[in-house]
Amino acid sequence: MRDTGHDGTGWHADTDDLRAYARGELEAPRLWSVDTHLLACAPCRLALAEATDSRALDLGWERLDAELDAPRPGVFEALLMRCGVADHTARLLAATPVLRASWLGAVLLVLLMTVISVYTVHSPSLFLALAPLLPLAGVALSYGPALDPTYEMALVAPLHGFRLLMIRTVAVLVASLGLNGLASLALPGYGLRALAWLLPALALTATGLALTARLGQVTAPALVSGAWIALLAAAAATGHKTLPPFTGVGQGVAALVAVIAAVLLHRLRDRFDTASAPSLPTDLAHRSVA
Amino acid sequence: MTTRPTVSGSGLTVRYGGSPALDNVSVRLQEGVTGLLGPNGAGKTTLLRVLATAVPPDRGAFTVLGHDPGTGAGRQEVRRRLGYLPQNPGFHPDFTAFAFVDYVAILKEFADRSARHREVRRVLDAVNLSEVRGKRIKRLSGGMRQRVALAAALLGDPGLLLLDEPTVGLDPEQRMQFREVIAEAGRHRTVLLSTHQTEDVAMLCQRVIVMAQGHVRFEGTPAELTARAAGRVWSSTERDPQARAGWRTGLGTFRNVGDPPQGADLLEPTLEDGYLLALDAQSVEAMSA
Repeated sequence: MRDTGHDGTGWHADTDDLRAYARGELEAPRLWSVDTHLLACAPCRLALAEATDSRALDLGWERLDAELDAPRPGVFEALLMRCGVADHTARLLAATPVLRASWLGAVLLVLLMTVISVYTVHSPSLFLALAPLLPLAGVALSYGPALDPTYEMALVAPLHGFRLLMIRTVAVLVASLGLNGLASLALPGYGLRALAWLLPALALTATGLALTARLGQVTAPALVSGAWIALLAAAAATGHKTLPPFTGVGQGVAALVAVIAAVLLHRLRDRFDTASAPSLPTDLAHRSVA
Repeated sequence: MTTRPTVSGSGLTVRYGGSPALDNVSVRLQEGVTGLLGPNGAGKTTLLRVLATAVPPDRGAFTVLGHDPGTGAGRQEVRRRLGYLPQNPGFHPDFTAFAFVDYVAILKEFADRSARHREVRRVLDAVNLSEVRGKRIKRLSGGMRQRVALAAALLGDPGLLLLDEPTVGLDPEQRMQFREVIAEAGRHRTVLLSTHQTEDVAMLCQRVIVMAQGHVRFEGTPAELTARAAGRVWSSTERDPQARAGWRTGLGTFRNVGDPPQGADLLEPTLEDGYLLALDAQSVEAMSA
């Protein structure tokens, strides 16, 4: 950074940065920083004029004008961009229905209550049973006509429906598994056993998505959740101290199911590119724009 | 000279369970605004969804700008040239108008930020929303929201614009503003405008398609649709039971549409009369119920 007369901003943009800026080659996040700084710093605007030819300068002003025009991203979107997520991906993620404070807060509350129950009954079973269902629910609620208000617009956009689904699924999984991981850290007494939810979570989520392609957005996750609960109920009836799905063999089966479901999901990916007629609201539906 | 149609399809059939929402429909669209008229449940939305590639037809085939949406690659090409305003365009209410259109631009593969923002500003200008681009969508009026959705549909200068009842729920002034934008949008591209308001068709459309119960009942110009009612609209002091439709006018007399009795006092037909005659009796009854 240059060190003379910084016009109250506390700093000056580097000459090399200004040249790169004028050529349109400066990359984010440095680009945003210089954009913002140029608004406040007259000496840097003069330095920009000296550092470049007039055509490049025009382009620079045009870009600055565009930056002034574009509204600032929301808190979540800005946070993603600070973490290195590309701005267009950050915008797609900001539109994901469940990546909201309300959903994440609800998940956190459920996990907190479950962790408390583990300390009360001295068994991690409830936590291990519940934790795999949370990512499944999150992913199920992140895409589709029921919860995504822009579903129909997104469906007919050139961006493949499966790609949008995967972008959102990865984001929801990262958030959901992260919260589950935090809850596991609160159960240090159980060692690695406290992580036995992870493979079932991946298996249930992948199976739920694969079945969604055939059974729809509501039936598929409901069926998978029901099957998981039935499996645990049957396992509990065996009387083993550690329920079979959380043993080594059970974890191996979960991993296998996750892989098979992921392969099946990939094969069915084109089904996410269009909708079945009944899944969309009918043209008899009452119109509301309010 | 005949120009190549933007949309050409035949035998289009979509079933909801057992009953057809679209039954063996053929459609051919060229540059200009075509109105799609019909009562609720006529199949207008289903036809638009099929043409927008949202719902594949159970039977039949069509092309858009020479591309076949029945294949993955063809569907992708159609979507790149398509603007679609659904019947109930949803919004992320916390997004600003700019951010929302920007979001749709990302879905439409505008990856470069500067180029994308330029395009977003262009379409917001085209629908006269530049002044409110920084406002959150939840703070905009219904008419403004509709224009935000239209701006999103105009991204990328699409060759085919499909608009599903865009003027419903708007007040007369908003409707007029919206019509101006649609008329401008239809100057150099093909627009299919679904509506159940004959005024929209009379003011905007070069051609009109009338649908009822999943079938196309009429296809032609608005003048041809009006002409179908010539000699079939008459005035009487009581509602004529033989009329397909009849209603009391502001003058206190009844305007009847159908097959007039001998010596009836014939009236000048309107587009709405032609529309009512293009529908089957069951659809007219359902409309007046």
